[in-house]
Amino acid sequence: MTPQEVARDTAQRLVETAGLNAVLHWSAEGLQLEAARVAALPPEAPLRGMPVAVKDNIVTLDTPTTCASRILEGYVSPFEATAVRRLRAAGAMIVAKTNLDEFAMGSSTEHSAFGRVLHPDFPERVPGGSSGGSAALVAAGVVPAALGSETGGSVRQPASFCGIVGVKPSYGRVSRYGLVAFASSLDQIGPLSLDVRDCALVLQVISGHDPHDSTSVDLPVPDFVASLEAGVRGLRVGVPAEFFGEGLQPGVRQAVLEAVRVLEGLGARVEEVALPTLEYALPTYYLIACAEASSNLARYDGVAYGYRSPRADDLYTLYARTRAEGFGPEVKRRIMLGTFALSEGYYEGFYKKAQQVRTLVRRDFDRCFQRVDVLATPTSPVAGFRLGERTADPLQMYLADVYTIPVNLAGLPGISVPCGFVDGLPVGLQLVGRPFEEATVLRVAYAYEQATEWHRHRCPFLRG
Amino acid sequence: MTISREDVLHVARLAEIGVSEHELDALVDQMNRIVGYVAQLDAAPVESDGAAFVPGPTAVAWREDVVQPEPLALPPAALAPDFRAGFFVVPQLPALVPESEHAPVDDEEEP
Repeated sequence: MTPQEVARDTAQRLVETAGLNAVLHWSAEGLQLEAARVAALPPEAPLRGMPVAVKDNIVTLDTPTTCASRILEGYVSPFEATAVRRLRAAGAMIVAKTNLDEFAMGSSTEHSAFGRVLHPDFPERVPGGSSGGSAALVAAGVVPAALGSETGGSVRQPASFCGIVGVKPSYGRVSRYGLVAFASSLDQIGPLSLDVRDCALVLQVISGHDPHDSTSVDLPVPDFVASLEAGVRGLRVGVPAEFFGEGLQPGVRQAVLEAVRVLEGLGARVEEVALPTLEYALPTYYLIACAEASSNLARYDGVAYGYRSPRADDLYTLYARTRAEGFGPEVKRRIMLGTFALSEGYYEGFYKKAQQVRTLVRRDFDRCFQRVDVLATPTSPVAGFRLGERTADPLQMYLADVYTIPVNLAGLPGISVPCGFVDGLPVGLQLVGRPFEEATVLRVAYAYEQATEWHRHRCPFLRG
Repeated sequence: MTISREDVLHVARLAEIGVSEHELDALVDQMNRIVGYVAQLDAAPVESDGAAFVPGPTAVAWREDVVQPEPLALPPAALAPDFRAGFFVVPQLPALVPESEHAPVDDEEEP
């Protein structure tokens, strides 16, 4: 297909799937402009003609970037994210900006100011979050790949719920320049796709040091695609017992343990390992992430850009009303929790303590990786929940990320790959590696994927 | 520990977020539940001088100390709610607003 044909085909799919509410911005005219640009690129461009959707908290030129928030409604960035610039230079066509939980704060994509996203396969279920729009669009077959962002599992968890692949790179592997900041010590951009190879292709392009982001690491980027075929014979796979305890849906446990047996059958050596600080990871994450969010989101005050309340006669009221009217309830709740954790009298007992526990979490992982090469766990304790089931109880919503959050705290690479179904709902196998060993994680995921048929199951829309 | 209405209003003021009376009870309840949950960190076996783990590069990558302007596709005037003659225009500081011009508080209890 020519880029123009891909653009027309993608436009038709976007129209047909509009009911999912997975997309916040796209235009047929913009698609044709992208196709014309890509048609002029040399044929060897690695992603030439690949349509890619981008989560709407990653800035793009010409199209708005709203973070699914009223406070940024209509905002157009004056610069382009490095990951987007690299994708376009590699020949990808940016076709749409996808819906998300407001400022990436959520696990179900029900916290968008522009309406919730529907699961492409199960309209009564959530697609996961916060990159639920990107995951739904890939699972529905509209695009082969999309960018999401991770702070506590926002790529892997929706990938798991939608039956696709999602990668969280090591902290520092991908530039955060142009990713709207939520929690700066945790945020990373990551790809979602229908299979491991496409994730590897996209990750290859967006990885690498960026002078615009001093937290991006100046390390060589391995050839992720070339290393996929290396197999798992002799590789050591650790199974942390703490990830299989209370709260894990029995069907999810069964699917993940069966996946571990498949890896064993492929020649991997499996052994049990311990991550005793898992029980502290979730509270640690919420203190650190909310504290960082309270600082990062202080910039939305109605002065330099974004929404401004029309009902303010003095400067303080301008700030307070702009933020009260512009932010949704979950964002306000997290900013307030973060402000509380950083306030006088509580800093030592909450924020500082959380920072210390974060060190323990990382040490636990380091100890595991002295014995094994990758860890295998469930991505989520459940295989998806119903729309509205957890919105009234923030703590229940937070628990949806209990297995992904420790990986973000420790800055490690992780992937979710489909490993079965429970009551028809997809289940994800999470694989976690040593820092900057994305190649190993991708290789194990690819070996598993090639040995099973789960990734060939598509949602009814795509099968149709 | 217990989070009171006054605590929530104090935090809202620090965070510069207006909280209306009808939101307050739910916020107090949710903050109590969340703070009660995260307080379990008290039991975590941290070392008193335990250093904080920070991911990313182990050393700062210094660059030449030369200003390199990044051209922007849009000027501030295109983005700001009110921008005139090179300035972001905002209302007065509260202390400078005459009493008679204060806006009615209506439903909101300003923190």
